[in-house]
Parts: sequence; C-alpha cells; structure tokens
Amino acid sequence: MRITEHPILDFGNPRMVQFTFEGRCLEGVEGEPIAAALHAAGIRLLRHSPGGRPRGLFCAIGNCSSCYMVVDGVPNVRTCVEPLRQGMVVCRQHGHGDLP
Amino acid sequence: MKRSVEVAIVGGGVIGCSIAYHLANLGCRDVAVYERGYPSCGSTGRCGAGVRAQWGTEMNCRLAHESIKRFERLEEDLDYPDIEFKQGGYLILAFSPAQLRQFERNVALQNSLGIPSRVVGPDEARDIVPHLAAPDLVGATFCGTDGHCNPFKVTDAYARAARRLGVEINTYTSVTGFEQQGGRVVRLETTAGPVECGAVVNAAGPFSAQVAAMAGLELPVFSQRHQVVVTEPVAPKQRPMVISFAHGFYCQQTPHGSFILGLGDPAEPRGLDIGHSWQFLADLAEKVEHLLPSLGRLRAVRQWSGLYNVTPDAQPILGPAGQPANLWLAVGFSGHGFMLAPMVGLTIAQGILGMEAEIPIDRLVLARFARGELVPEPSVV
Amino acid sequence: MTRVDVAVVGGGPAGLNAALAAADAGASVLLIDRQPRLGGQLVKQTHRFFGSRAQFAGTRGFEIGRLLAKRAEAHPDIAIWLDATVIGCYSDSVLMVDTGSGLAKVHADRLVMATGAAERPLAFVNNDLPGIYGAGAVQTLMNLHGVLPGRRAVMVGAGNIGLIISYQLLQAGVRVAAILEAAPAVGGYLVHAAKVARAGIPILTSHTVLAAQGDDAVAGVRVARLSPDWQPVPGSEFEIACDLVCLAVGLSPLVELAALAGCELLHIAELGGFVPWRDSDMQTSVPGVYVAGDAAGVEEASSAMVSGRLAGLAAANSLRAAGDFAGQRQECQRQLAGLRAGPAGEKMRRGLAKMGLAAAGGDGIA
Repeated sequence: MRITEHPILDFGNPRMVQFTFEGRCLEGVEGEPIAAALHAAGIRLLRHSPGGRPRGLFCAIGNCSSCYMVVDGVPNVRTCVEPLRQGMVVCRQHGHGDLP
Repeated sequence: MKRSVEVAIVGGGVIGCSIAYHLANLGCRDVAVYERGYPSCGSTGRCGAGVRAQWGTEMNCRLAHESIKRFERLEEDLDYPDIEFKQGGYLILAFSPAQLRQFERNVALQNSLGIPSRVVGPDEARDIVPHLAAPDLVGATFCGTDGHCNPFKVTDAYARAARRLGVEINTYTSVTGFEQQGGRVVRLETTAGPVECGAVVNAAGPFSAQVAAMAGLELPVFSQRHQVVVTEPVAPKQRPMVISFAHGFYCQQTPHGSFILGLGDPAEPRGLDIGHSWQFLADLAEKVEHLLPSLGRLRAVRQWSGLYNVTPDAQPILGPAGQPANLWLAVGFSGHGFMLAPMVGLTIAQGILGMEAEIPIDRLVLARFARGELVPEPSVV
Repeated sequence: MTRVDVAVVGGGPAGLNAALAAADAGASVLLIDRQPRLGGQLVKQTHRFFGSRAQFAGTRGFEIGRLLAKRAEAHPDIAIWLDATVIGCYSDSVLMVDTGSGLAKVHADRLVMATGAAERPLAFVNNDLPGIYGAGAVQTLMNLHGVLPGRRAVMVGAGNIGLIISYQLLQAGVRVAAILEAAPAVGGYLVHAAKVARAGIPILTSHTVLAAQGDDAVAGVRVARLSPDWQPVPGSEFEIACDLVCLAVGLSPLVELAALAGCELLHIAELGGFVPWRDSDMQTSVPGVYVAGDAAGVEEASSAMVSGRLAGLAAANSLRAAGDFAGQRQECQRQLAGLRAGPAGEKMRRGLAKMGLAAAGGDGIA
C-alpha cells in the first residue's frame, strides 16, 4: 500500500530493488527501512516474541525492538531503521534469533 | 525495628542473607540484617554470576562443591520458583604448558574431593564450545556440573525464607559504629538508632575493612573494581562458561540469552570506585575477537562494575574474629563469594550456634595470616 | 581517538542547532546520529510551524530539517557521523560510538545531548499486536516513506500530535474512525481540532481503549467511556473496527545518555518524566555536559531548536569566550519565553518552575 497521490508530498520516482521475505520475492524502494517495504507489500507481522506473541513495527526510530527480524542470517536487526538493499534475505524472527 | 537481637548481620548481600536464613533455619530466629541499600545492591548484584567447583585450593573446592549441591535443590529448600540455575559447565582454558600442568594438579585435587572435572585437549575443548577460536590454546579443563545462577534471585530466595522464619531485614539502614564492653560488641549504632546484640557478623563485602575498623580490627583485605558487560539476548549458543586466567577473561550465556562477559585488569587500582571505563570495553572487544570471535557482532547493552574484596591468598576469611570475641567474619571472598554463599551461610551459622560445622572452616580464620599459613588460590580472574 | 571541542549527540532540531551554534562560535564539532539521515523527527513533519520567523514559522517541518542539515553539512567545522550510536559515556570525556563496523572513541571537551524523546506506550489488552503504532511511526511511514500503515484508523490521544496526524492520515487517504481522548477535553490547539472536526472525524473525549482485538494483526478495539475519576463506566463499552491503532499519548525524554554521564535526573511530569537537571544555559549537574530539545523536557520542535542553539552557544563559549555571547544568549531566552507564553505554554512553565527555572529557561526574563 504505497501512497500514490498526496496534497503536499511528492515521493518521486524511487529506485526499486528486489529482496526476499520468507522465500517470497518482493520489491521495495532502495534505502527505505525494511519494515516500510514490508508494509508496502501488506506484511505487518514481523516476528514472534520469545513468548510467542505476534509483533510488528511500533516506534520506527530504532528504539523499542518490536520489529526485530533475521536479515541475511543476522538476528535482532531493527527493520524499522535498517535500509533495504538489493538481494536482502529477510525472515521473521521467532523468539531470540540464532547468532550465526 | 527491633532494639535488641541475638545476632546482628552487617550486610544484606547473598552472604548476609544466607547466614540469616541458616541461623533461623537452625532455630536461632532472633536475627536482624542491616543493609545500607537493598539486598543484592552491592557486589552480589554486580557479580558475573558464575558457579564453579573447579578451584585450586582444598577449601575453595570443598565449599564450592557442596554449595553447588545446595544450588541444585535450593528452589525446593527455600520454596522459591526459579533461581535460574543452569549447569552448562565451565571450560577453563590453558595457554601454556606450565598453566596446563597447574590445571592437571587442580583436577587431581578436585577429583579427590569428588568433583567431576577433567583435562581436555584443544580439539575436545572446541567440541564443547564450537565457536571457540583461541588458536594458541594448549588445553583446558571441563566440569559439567559448574554453571550459572541468578544472584538477585538467590539472595531474594534466602531473604524471603529468612523473613518467613522471623528474621528482620532492614534496608537502607547503615551500621555506623559498635559499642564494646569487656571485649564484646554489645551495641550497634545504626542510621535507624541503636540495637543491642549478642553477636555480630561482618558480611559487608567490599566494606568489610571499614566495618571491622569500627570494632578496632584491621583486616588484610582490599577492594578492587572489576568490570562486566552484558549483551543483547540471542538463542542458546554457548552452554559452558568459558574462562581464561591468562587473559583475565570470562564469558557465559545466561538462560535469558544474553552473554555476561568480564575482564580483570591487573593494573586496576585498589579502592571503592564502581565507575566504568571505555578501556575495558575496548580491551574486552579485543579478547572476544581472539577467543570467541563470533560473539563480536553482539551489541553491548549494559556495562557496570562491582568490587572484589581480596585477601592475600584469594580465599575468604571465615569464622570468629577473635577480638572482639563475639564478632564473626564472612569477608574477603576475592571475587567468588556468590558461588560459596550456601555453604558459607550454613557453616557460619553453625559456628555461631556452637554446632559442629558441615565443613570445618578453621583453616580460613583470620589468624591464618598472622601465623603465615597461606595457601594461595591460583585459579582466579 | 577522535578529538573535538564539542560532541553533539542527536541530529534533530535541537542537535542541528546546537552543532551550528557551537561551530559558528568557533568550536570544532562532531555531530553524531544513529539514523542514516539528519533531521531527526523533522523529516516527517509536513505541517507548517508556528512561532516567529526566527523559528522558521510558516515553513513545513521537513523543509526546516533539510535546510538545517544542509547548513550543517556545509559547515567546515562540523563533522557528521550517521548510522552511529553512542553506547557509552565515560567520566574522562570519552564517548564510545558503535559505527556499525566497529567501536570508535571520541574525546570531546563538551557534550551536548540532544537525544530527543520516545513515544509512550499505553497499557491495554493486546497492546503489542501488529498494527498498533506510536504516532511518530505512523507519521514516518506515511510522510517519509509514502507507505500506508492501514486503511481505517483509530487515533488514541487528542493532543497536538494526535490531531495533526489524524489530519495527515486523511491526506494520505486513510479513514479515521475516531479520535479517543481519555481527558474530558481536547488537549491540542483549537485550530488543529477544528480542522479534523471539519473533516468529519469524531473526537470522543472521556473515552479510552480497553483492548485490541485480532489474531496476527489488529482488527478492532474495545472502547469505554471514562467516569470523572478515570474509571471505565460499566455498560458503556463498544467496539470500533479498524486495522490501525495510533497511539499519541505523549513522549518520554530519552535520558539514558544523561544517566550514563552521571547527570542528576529529576522526575517532572510536566516535562515528560525523568529529565536531567540543568541550569539556564542548558548545562546539567555534570560540568561540561549540556542537554537540549525534548531530552530536556518534551515540547515543540520550535523550542527544541532554540534550546539547542542556547546549549551549543554556551558549550562553545565555555571553551573560548565568544564576543557576543551575552547578547545571543539573551535572544535565545527571549525566544523561549515567547514560545512558552500563553495558555499552551502553561504546562512547560510549571515544569520548569519545578526545576527552579523561569519560562525562558533563564532567570527573571519571563
């Protein structure tokens, strides 16, 4: 769900990149937070807490740790601030992530 | 607050609370603890939370080994839900042939006391901890019953059990002086007023010398800062504590998933500073890169320090002070008081009550220093 | 070890102004921010600012952010580290900085903490479901990244942030089912409230969320009316279907760094919670350590800019006396007093009074 028309803002013609989420191929804007790209693709469930509860984005400033995901095999990545790059492999994190 | 007690305990860390519980459990319930802050606010809550029986002196081995047996059943004994006791073992690294020979002597001593430790080669060490790098490793020792325990919860467990048995635990109450008559302490001055007492226990951790001085007693101890860092939590990766005396380094993953890492600094000045330094973080990062490089990417979430109360032989001072006659000492743990707390609490309580001690602790009395009977503990960080 | 006169932590409105003021006063400055871009939360603010020309009145927040960032980038005496997080602050004036590729050490004679504030959560059942966001996160997704966080929103909180973001949700094409406000009256400026009311968004005062519903994401909220003593009125409960809950229930100053630095902290509810004690020059109880912006007490970005300028000026002047320091300081304090005048500044004035300061952050000017 990307905003296509806005009375004040113009999001221009951003460069799109490909990445995978749980094995699915998705597209996002290069450099936007990973969580923003996932939201644009309609994905809001980012991880399950150690207690098994579904969690998503909350603060978007890298402060609250609600959006931890496993990115390129690295756990505890703050996807609300981590910029999206071409070819990233993004997975939901379940509980505490495994250190590679 | 009571104005008169049979036994007054100065210090509400794990040692003071364990002594209080054991006194009450053995029938002496007229006991009070005086804690300048809250239970565990001092060295107990700042320690590295390791528990091991792999020591190099008989007394440290016996006290630690028996304490581990008690940690194993502490939840049941104290009716406490969870002390987070994890027996993932201790892997102690040797980096020179001389150090390995010392470790072999330690293991022989440990085995003679029933401690199930063993010497392992570098390959087996890496089987036990697959992410161990340390290319210059010569060998190691391993004991699977060693591990980790939560010091806050253990202290809380003792404090709650003691309270249930009638012990009074006074928080934010400092002892400011002792009044003596006939070579005995008869009265404590506290920030909450005076208290008459039958006996006094000095369990004041890093402040043991200051408390002893109030009774006119000089202790051969000093306090020294040791720094610790804790990381973000990750899924279980490292079962045992990894420890290297050569690097002054230890590292353990807690049941919660965070890693606790500590580093001793031989140049650390003596004193009561509990600040923290960037040099520690930088030095530690270097040691991690050398020994356990895959942990290098973990984020440090908190850094702190606590105080060791160090004796000349790195063994604690336990038992009657001698002068004043009714002052008892449980001090000078040299960085390993938490793991000895169950047996120290029991044996000190037994001593105060005139009972035969489960483990004779007379070799650890203060007088050993005057007599020159020192057996230095080699296995310290 | 990198050595500078002044390290500024946080590149938002306060930090940018602190860096510029200190550098203009002749200090070498290192500006550190944990985000990949400067501007802090200005980057997502599409509304026009109030205040006076000195605080860019009439300009939209993100444009102010761009302008200040450009000035800082162009300044020869300001070095900028982005994607860099200060993880330690030590008594020998050293900062430990996680740069992503390693640890860097910075020795700074003066430190300005402009670390901002964090959104407060609200306690209700299932408040951790995906689809429940802090208001700032919604603003970031929409206004910075052009991504819709949902289709049908419930806003919790009718302060300025709740009102402004409700309107911005409408602008982005999201339906706002209701704005809930626990207090009996709207907290924000009437001009904002009138704008959302004209757009047909109901503002339910004396109402709060009891629970969120949904399995893997929020699908609705259970709401209740509150009695004058803030208790849910039995039988008043009803449900609102929504796929987005936006919490605009206030901010808490980010004071971790101040605590690390050993600054004395005071709990002052009017300022948002724990804040460092500071004097009229924004200096904390630790000599050489300054605080600015929301980290010193949550208020508007306009005052954050001025308090940042004041902190930067004072920090630089304490190293090398700047000729016109007294005049510039007085001008900052005059502007702060102006921003905090009137009914909207009453809370801030009360908070500052608890710290022993007048509205200007100085003494006697307000």
